[in-house]
Amino acid sequence: MFKDILVPVAGTGADDETIRLACRLAKRDKGKVWAVSVVTIKRALPLDAEIQSEIKKAEEILDKVETIAEEEGAEVETDVLQAREVGPAVVDEAVERGVSLILMGISYKQRFGQFSLGNVVPYVLKNSPCPVILYQQSSMKTESLI
Amino acid sequence: MPDSLPLRPGDKVFRPRRIKRFRLRRVLGIPAVFSAGYGNVGSSIYYALGIVAVVAMGATPVALGIAGILFIFTALTYAEGTAAIPEAGGSASFARNAFGDSAGFLAGWALMLSYIVTISISAYTIPPYLGYFWEPFKTSPIIGTFASIGIVLFLMAINVIGIRETSLINVTAALVDILTQVSLVVIGFITLFNPTILFHRILDTWPSPENLVTGIALATIAYTGIETMSQMAEETKKPEKSVPRALLMMIVAVLVIFAGISLISLSAMPPQELATVWGRDPVAGIAFYLPVEIIRTILKPLIAVLAGTILFIATNAGLIGISRLAFSQGTHNLVPPALSRIHSRFKTPYISIIIFSLIAVALLIPGFSSTDVFSHMGVLYAIGSLLAFMFSHASIIMLRIKKPDMPRPFKLGWNIHIKKREIPVTAIIGLFSCMGIWLLLLFTEPYSRWAGLGWMVGGIIIYLLYRWSRRRPRDEWQIKLNRK
Repeated sequence: MFKDILVPVAGTGADDETIRLACRLAKRDKGKVWAVSVVTIKRALPLDAEIQSEIKKAEEILDKVETIAEEEGAEVETDVLQAREVGPAVVDEAVERGVSLILMGISYKQRFGQFSLGNVVPYVLKNSPCPVILYQQSSMKTESLI
Repeated sequence: MPDSLPLRPGDKVFRPRRIKRFRLRRVLGIPAVFSAGYGNVGSSIYYALGIVAVVAMGATPVALGIAGILFIFTALTYAEGTAAIPEAGGSASFARNAFGDSAGFLAGWALMLSYIVTISISAYTIPPYLGYFWEPFKTSPIIGTFASIGIVLFLMAINVIGIRETSLINVTAALVDILTQVSLVVIGFITLFNPTILFHRILDTWPSPENLVTGIALATIAYTGIETMSQMAEETKKPEKSVPRALLMMIVAVLVIFAGISLISLSAMPPQELATVWGRDPVAGIAFYLPVEIIRTILKPLIAVLAGTILFIATNAGLIGISRLAFSQGTHNLVPPALSRIHSRFKTPYISIIIFSLIAVALLIPGFSSTDVFSHMGVLYAIGSLLAFMFSHASIIMLRIKKPDMPRPFKLGWNIHIKKREIPVTAIIGLFSCMGIWLLLLFTEPYSRWAGLGWMVGGIIIYLLYRWSRRRPRDEWQIKLNRK
């Protein structure tokens, strides 16, 4: 059902479980996981600006993804994207790769005392060309991480 | 060689080129590119009309029209260049590809001057428009200049921090800008336009030939924003098609709207009044003279707010443009690396933002006492932009000679054939027209001559010193032997 799965990763605590879930879903249909880490570039810089610290961070996140995928025995391809905003970059990537699912991991976040999904998740939900599954890490784990 | 290993005399150090492991995600379409370009070019009518009227008087629409033809040629050159080289540097990238690093630096440095003046002149014209709400903004040079400096410093601070700004804001602002300008043109034509009065005003105050030519030269500042579109190329989907299309759309929109506004302004008031009372806020002057009370009541505050907002966005666009350009020049080793240094926390090129903002503030300081600072800034703007345009035209011609087979998704027509090379006529005309106007401004405007040439000479010195300091092999060098 979900042959090609796009997983945007951002180095949060939810990444680990999201990637495992994506690998298991993809393996069932002999599919593939595409993991992307988006480096956002401020408008005062050209889009191709190489911010070493950010690229290094993104590559570390993706290295971890590759290790998990190897443990799960699933095929994974990773990529660092540079974009102005995360939401449009994820949607565009999904369109270009023609994926059948976007799987996003989220952790419990509060903004002004209220639960918040932030900006990226609502954008992807609104504009995605394919089904989207949100995986929220259990609040117990989030608390222990905090 | 790992960084942890100590270097010993006689060791050879090899630094391999880092392999890029990231991809750029381009998401902008034609509307976003068009709106960014129009936001910049369209905003200039809010001050260019007054600057041109100071010298061209009754011939202001004629001067804007002739400069408009030059604008078409320049926009076409940018269309070919951007489609072939979709990079962030605009004319600096064209020049680097056509003539090499030094020309790339010179074009970029000229462009930086143009961006700095964009920042100053846009910020300088915001307070007069806001004078509708509080008169001292328009009438007091001290309050007006303080406000302008405050705007630049405020934008400097938020750009160092790096606010989130979506392209949606640009699209909305450009749409509102076009709607306001089109409404003003339509309402103005219905209520104010009188061919007899217009004809008499043009003829009665027709300038001397020298002033007309200077007016045409100054009118070029109304069109100096094409570069913004070119700079957007690297984040545009299918830039080879989108950017030329957006440029062609902009040519039509700008020429129609600017022609309409200039004709209505002279129908509304005599050129002397346009040049003096409404010199810094000519569009507010048109709204002031609308004969229908209710439209006037609505449009006057609306134009004050919209012009203020659009000029504020243009000031910010100038600041963003120059920091991107400085970074791009820095990555090609054309300016000292400090200008492309990124703040560890905010991830912005804070040194270039601060330096160029402070230079823009310095240009505003004469505003406290001098009354002609406005026209000085206008001429300086034209000098920087025209130099960048010259480099663009020359680069397109040179690329046709040096690399006739390079892919050109948008290729200019009307070519003359010299030794099996196709040379576009529009680029030749554009190059010589820009050069003529540029030389004229240099000869006739002493302030801008010295400020403009001083900027370029200062840049060349920095460039030569920087290149000299880097005269060592970059990829491999030998540690000196200690011989005691």
